[in-house]
Amino acid sequence: MIGVSLIVFVVLRVLPGDPLVAVLGAEGYAKLAPADRAALMRDLGLADTLPVQYVRWLKDIASGQLGKSFFRGDTVADLILRRGPITAEIGILAVIISWLVGLPVGILSAIRPNGWADGIARTLAVLFIAIPGFWLGLLIVLALLFWFGYKSPIVIVQLWENPWQNFQIIVGPAIILGLAQGAYISRMSRSCLLEVIREDYVRTARAKGAVERKVVLHHALPNALLPVITISGVLLGFVLGGSVAVEQAFGVPGLGRALVTAVVERDIIVVQNLVLLYALIFVAVNVLVDLSYAWLDPRIRY
Amino acid sequence: MTPYAPGQNRGISRRYFLRTAAMAGTAVTLGSTIGRGRALAQAQEVKADPAVKRGGTLRYGILNAPAHFDVHQSGTVANIGPQSPMYDTLIRRDPRDGSTIIPDLAQRWEISPDGKKYTFYLRKGVTFHDGADFTSADVKATYDRIIRPPKGVVIPRTPLFASVGEVVAVDPYRIEFRLTESRPQNFMLGAFASGWNIIVRKKTLDDNQGNLRQVMNFPGTGPFRHVSRKDKEVWIQERNPNYWNKGLPYLDRLEIYNLPPFSPELGSSFLAGKVDYARIMDPVSWRKAKEMPGVTATAFNQSVIQAYFMNMKRKPFADARVRRAIHLAMDRAALIDVVKDTAPMQIGGFVYPFHEASTPRAELEKRLGYQKDIKPAVQEARKLMQEAGYGQGLKNLDFVVRDIASFKLWAVAIQAMLKENLNIETNMRVVQTSQWFEEAQSGNFDLAISAIVSTLMDPSDYFTSWYGKDGPQNYSGWSNEQFHALTKQIDHELDDAKRRTLIRQAELILEQDPPLIPVAYEQIYDAWYNRVRGQNSSKFFGIYDVVRWDTVSIAQT
Repeated sequence: MIGVSLIVFVVLRVLPGDPLVAVLGAEGYAKLAPADRAALMRDLGLADTLPVQYVRWLKDIASGQLGKSFFRGDTVADLILRRGPITAEIGILAVIISWLVGLPVGILSAIRPNGWADGIARTLAVLFIAIPGFWLGLLIVLALLFWFGYKSPIVIVQLWENPWQNFQIIVGPAIILGLAQGAYISRMSRSCLLEVIREDYVRTARAKGAVERKVVLHHALPNALLPVITISGVLLGFVLGGSVAVEQAFGVPGLGRALVTAVVERDIIVVQNLVLLYALIFVAVNVLVDLSYAWLDPRIRY
Repeated sequence: MTPYAPGQNRGISRRYFLRTAAMAGTAVTLGSTIGRGRALAQAQEVKADPAVKRGGTLRYGILNAPAHFDVHQSGTVANIGPQSPMYDTLIRRDPRDGSTIIPDLAQRWEISPDGKKYTFYLRKGVTFHDGADFTSADVKATYDRIIRPPKGVVIPRTPLFASVGEVVAVDPYRIEFRLTESRPQNFMLGAFASGWNIIVRKKTLDDNQGNLRQVMNFPGTGPFRHVSRKDKEVWIQERNPNYWNKGLPYLDRLEIYNLPPFSPELGSSFLAGKVDYARIMDPVSWRKAKEMPGVTATAFNQSVIQAYFMNMKRKPFADARVRRAIHLAMDRAALIDVVKDTAPMQIGGFVYPFHEASTPRAELEKRLGYQKDIKPAVQEARKLMQEAGYGQGLKNLDFVVRDIASFKLWAVAIQAMLKENLNIETNMRVVQTSQWFEEAQSGNFDLAISAIVSTLMDPSDYFTSWYGKDGPQNYSGWSNEQFHALTKQIDHELDDAKRRTLIRQAELILEQDPPLIPVAYEQIYDAWYNRVRGQNSSKFFGIYDVVRWDTVSIAQT
């Protein structure tokens, strides 16, 4: 995490672009005198040396406030508390959808390989992997609008405020992301299950008279799941990254959109905190994935 | 003029008498008309109509993501869109026609015969949202800050008041602006009526060291007052029950949703009925809205020029012939067409094409560079390049493009036109907005495309900032002594007809020695459901003046 924080900190300060353009607007920036510019940079904390700025950021993280946006003085913590739940819900629902769709399709493909169902499943999987999520998202938004005159709520409604409106906000992005991840999961589970299903112990289970469903679900699947769980952890990175584009397409005011806006506005404080947050989530989930191996496979002990 | 020939009877001839009487009569009529015109405007206040239905909530879709909260320091609709309903100005543009200047916090005004003193008589009994009385001290504090901003405060409208030497609060309800030199009245009144110059409380400025960037809810005298705000989502305002203009506003509530210009969110939110009024729609959504029953969709002129700059510190562009050649090589009709589904535009030259002083469209379209058939213009352009020694064209020009859809589309078309017509090869470099302005200010480009804005339609505003020597938006670094001398004359000429002539002369100089290459002039697409009454944006100029919603009502269903 220290490494990630250093990389994001340095990269953001090396990139060209002046945050004062967004703060003052084009006209105001054009009329900015050098002395005024220096004063503004001092106020924003950007005139200090890089080590001083880095240490100040670490102190902000330790205090829990995470620093203040250049704009309006809002704290990054407030931003995350307001928008984080929406993005988290989208991520969680996307993972649930990916498993609910990907795993059964993968199993079906594996137990009837090279059949018509397998063919359709594999084709759809490739399509959902190849087609950009934001493009699909825009199509869905337009289809719902022009065919049904429907648009989801345009402000954040939290789950505890109005569950139905909250669901309307998150369901679109979650489906797009979930289907894309589900495509990976179906392919991975298909190939892992195909490999395991040819093992001797599976043949033994059949020979002992176990019904096919029990053979697949109780004997083969648990052993085929380990790589699928591993890839799920990696796919979470795609969900986090994909949420940025998909939130833009659906107009969802989540953390992904906040990150895009902050990048465009050169709001360095928001960008570096959100990137660090995403890195932290990614690392945490993958640690949990690693720990889950011990539960799934008794042979694995840490 | 002698009334009689030598040797003729020296009595007054009938012809002389009739001619002189006609002239005197015309002068008197004109004088009284002008005076009556001004008097009429001052009487043309906005008053509540008892027949209009009151109440309701207007849901308004506009860019509502301010970088800070100081309207004076802003130049973007992200501030003026959501914040203006909470404030008044000294005088204002009439919301009914978008142009006549009428009273606001000032009930009436007087201009001294020499044009050097503007006296405003302020309303009594006006209070700020926090209950404090409004007086001339607040106007003085506001304008002192605009005219001479404190350290660390940058106000784009400061140059409009460069001739104001002193602001004097004569008494609590009378304030004088004493100019060091006279300026055209339309220009000065336009500056005072600008929607940017909201009146703030003196105490607010004193308490915040003259900087309101971080002050979200500072009190105003406007028809609405702050209720709540969720960053980049919605700003909710309620009717000011103590508003000085009794009976207004008609609406109970404003919900101002953050829906960026030209964005699919804005278009889809309007078409799905999530908002009642949408501003700065994309052309595709707007055309769809226009076809919907129960919807009004209008277009009006914006105070922005889309142009590209040529870095005059680099050799080829120091030569006016090269710049004129590039100007002539543009197929402007094609450039409008290229962005027709992205943003609405119209053809124009160096002066706002809809301003009374600009060359009329029919005449402009006969001029080289603006004709539908560009062949004669291209021939002339090639001749100029030959004379300048660049008959073989230019290579490897750095073309910096602001990362916005319309500029990217234009850049590709411009690149093709320059190559095909003049053998000028460019390398496009697309950069974020913040980086574009850095590059432009540091002169790190050969060509650079963007949009620049003005506060007023009056050339005295943008001739200084766009084309003035060392003007803040003169990114080309252009200079032409003849033009600058003319600008000084234009700034001080009080006769409208003479001023128009000078502006036309200046325009011709710009055509021959271009400081930038005009690409197009922006239009704004608005749409609203017909339950929204009292709005007619088709006559507005820009999106920064008529922004208060006090005369708008909503029919309840």
